[in-house]
Amino acid sequence: MLADYFDGSMDPRLREELDSHIAMCEPCMNFSKTYRITCDKTKELRKDIEYQIPQDVRDRLETFVRSAALKYPQMVREYRDQAERERREKLAAFLSAASAGKLSSITVLLVETHCAICPECKEYFDRRIQAGDSGATPGIVESHVTRLMEALPPGEEFFLA
Amino acid sequence: MSAERWKEDEALLERLRKGTPEGVNELLHLFQGKIFNLAMSILKNESDAEEATQDVFMTVIRKADTFKGNSALYSWMYRICVNTCLMRLRGKRRNETVSIEEFMPVFTDEGMHASPMDDWSKEVERDALNEELGRMIRKFTDQLSEKYKVVFVLSDVEGLSNEETAKILGLTVPAVKSRLHRARLYLREQLSRYLQDGKAG
Repeated sequence: MLADYFDGSMDPRLREELDSHIAMCEPCMNFSKTYRITCDKTKELRKDIEYQIPQDVRDRLETFVRSAALKYPQMVREYRDQAERERREKLAAFLSAASAGKLSSITVLLVETHCAICPECKEYFDRRIQAGDSGATPGIVESHVTRLMEALPPGEEFFLA
Repeated sequence: MSAERWKEDEALLERLRKGTPEGVNELLHLFQGKIFNLAMSILKNESDAEEATQDVFMTVIRKADTFKGNSALYSWMYRICVNTCLMRLRGKRRNETVSIEEFMPVFTDEGMHASPMDDWSKEVERDALNEELGRMIRKFTDQLSEKYKVVFVLSDVEGLSNEETAKILGLTVPAVKSRLHRARLYLREQLSRYLQDGKAG
């Protein structure tokens, strides 16, 4: 309750009552004055209360963080490139299996269900499987097929050996 | 959070994601003092605080990608810092802390203050005392248990709002208020005793 009083969130009527009590009661008045000055001084003396970071710690920290931080994006880039290469390989394998009619039955089902609602993929697969056209794959189809492959349960092969 | 602050945070994070040296320098410049201070006040040991500060910066740089802009960058960093420090404390022997109860105001059955209540607010208003007072506040704060101290440092020393402190620590706002109030009561009482002893001596 006192916390509400001091931070100003107390109900105004209650606050008025308390104010008038404090004004007449010396111990309470002294308490409230010293409480407030404690808070005020804490804010004012922030610089003295805080621990200053020593120069040698600062230097070591900067050297360490800089060298570690600059290596990190390089690692991320390599990892992403690798993941991208793997994705492309998988995609190519999937599409050639589709042309050769070697997709597993569960994958065929997934592709058919998807094609029923996606005109772009339907057109592409129709062309590829029926006409044997292996021309460029549109971006939208690539991204849909990638998502299809990711949707397969782990361990499930999407094409027949 | 203001749109401007969000934009600044986002710009800094973008530089971090790209891994530019400027981004890293800016992050260090803005936060190393604050993070070190917070780590020191929890760990109370310079070499522990140094290692914790390193960990915090590495975590922030590594996770710059995944940071969601639903809180300010500094509050995210404080949260990482608090977690890192508490993790380090875990398993370690707890530092000696005082029992806060001893410093809570005591009332008589009639609801009066049980001990004499002096007004020393005028005395400490003299700026001559400031340096010593700052040192004393730090010393007394150091004796608090983490529960109170972290709230006190974030709210009263760092000047965050109760809401921000609650978010960083995963507490409710009333819990923050109550801990903060108790820490202030404790500090007021400690300063009282300290100033009276000074007068007596």
